[in-house]
Formats: sequence, C-alpha cells, structure tokens
Amino acid sequence: MQLLQQWSETNGFLIWLRESPSVWAYPTVFFLHTIGLIFTAGASIIINTRLLGAMPQLPVAPFARFFRPIWIAFWVTAISGVIMVAADLQTKLENRLFPLKMIFVVLAVVITALLRRRIEQSSLSGSTRALAAASLVCWLGAVAAGRFMAYFQ
Amino acid sequence: MKAWWIAPAWKTLHYFAIAALVGIVGLVDLRIFGVAKGLPLRPLQRLMPWATLAFAVAAVSGYALLQINPANALGPPVNVAFAAKILFLVFIGLNDILYFATGLKRQVDGVGAGESASASAKIVAGVSLALWVGVVFWSRMLTFLAGAI
Repeated sequence: MQLLQQWSETNGFLIWLRESPSVWAYPTVFFLHTIGLIFTAGASIIINTRLLGAMPQLPVAPFARFFRPIWIAFWVTAISGVIMVAADLQTKLENRLFPLKMIFVVLAVVITALLRRRIEQSSLSGSTRALAAASLVCWLGAVAAGRFMAYFQ
Repeated sequence: MKAWWIAPAWKTLHYFAIAALVGIVGLVDLRIFGVAKGLPLRPLQRLMPWATLAFAVAAVSGYALLQINPANALGPPVNVAFAAKILFLVFIGLNDILYFATGLKRQVDGVGAGESASASAKIVAGVSLALWVGVVFWSRMLTFLAGAI
C-alpha cells in the first residue's frame, strides 16, 4: 500500500493529471468515465426492462448484438476509473462507499455476462427475469454509490 | 433543507434519468446505424416517449441542482460549459423536429427486422448521438469551467 502510494505520488502522468489546470487532464478522464458509465448502465437497464417483459413486440435475441458497444463503454469506464483512483489513492480507497460501489459494479458485470447467452437463446425463464432485476438494481446501485461517494468520507 | 444527502440525492435522480434517456437514444440510434438489425424499428421507437419522460425528470432535477450550485448556471458570471450545454440541447431539439417534420420518423418505423435504415436516417441518428455525447461532455465540464471567463 505504501509502495502504491509512493508510485502514485511520483508517477509523472498521475502528477500531471492531478496538477494540470487543462480541461484535457483530469476533467477529460472524468468525462470518459461519465459517458462510459451512462451508456453501460443505460443500455443495460433498457435491455433488462425488455427481459422483465416490457416491449413484448421486440424479439429478444438481437439485443445480444448490443453487448459489444456495452463492453467497449464498460472498459472506457473501468480504465478511466482506475486512473482516477490511482491519481487520488487515499481519498478514494478510504471512502466508505467505495467498496459498496465496487461490489455493485462487480455483481452487475457478472450478471450482465451471465445474461448474454440467455438473451441469445431468447430464454425468458423465471431465473432470467430474476437476473435481469438483479442487474437493474446493481447498475442503479453502482451509479447511486458513485454519486454519493463525492459527499462521503 | 441543508441536509448533506439532498445534493447527491438530486444528482442520483439526474443520473438515473440520463442513463434511461441515453440508453434509449443510444440503442435506437445504434439500431438505425445497423447494429442489432434483427430488431424492427417501429416497436423500438415506441421507447421514445419514455426518453421524453426521462428528459423531463433530468430537466427538473437539473434545475434543482442549479439552485444548489448556482455557479453551474448561465450566470453572471457566464459558465461557458452551461451555455454550450444549452446550445447543444437546442440543436438536439432541432434535430428531433427535423426527424419528425420531414417524415423520417415514419419512414424509419417501416424498417423491419433485418432491414437497413436510409442514409438520411443514419445521418440524423449520428448527429443525435454526437450531440448527446457533447451534452455529457459540457455537463462534466460545468464545475471545471465555472468562472473560466
């Protein structure tokens, strides 16, 4: 941990990110995080509502094609998130809401990955609906925890 | 009224609304581009009134957030990011008016499963997607550009 802290304090890129007044430094990384999470969570939520029974006129299987853009957006969010945590290790890791947010994110990602095959097979069983509801709760929970983090120590 | 959780609660509501809005707009625009062609566009476009509702929730929660943090509003002093955000939202409105008024929306309703949307529909979808990304960009810049000019 101490080594990590030392690296964060001496790494040139992270120093630039923290100290540069340019909007292309921290603000842009923050923007990438925001746009990525909005699309990842937003698209997942809409697909989950379909799995829960909304829009019955739409076939389910083609929704699997949206997973590629969703994962691209997820990785943009994840990488920019790791960079922001690295730039500000102490405040972020000591935040009591951070572990909660990470639990929501990991659960949401695992459940979304599990849902993919079920979507491809158009299987709308009870367990699929339960997973879709859990995915919805986890994505919304991750967003809420992220928003509340800034107001928490 | 000054409880610590009020601002993050409004922000959470604002983000939920934007996630629903951008989720719907993103999926419809991507389908028009040709992603997930198996989806017929008429039932997919029925989501658009829900996007309008989400926009209303985002606007109301956004207004509440501006009361909490006036430096993120138009000013004075002018917040460039907020001015740009409103301008982009106006462009989105014009793009949507164009989409409905030219009959393009009805034409896209006729795009069934496995079929491609027209080039003009793809242009309008591309402009919509780019403008929404722009709105999120300017929103993120609000606190960083407050008082920049």
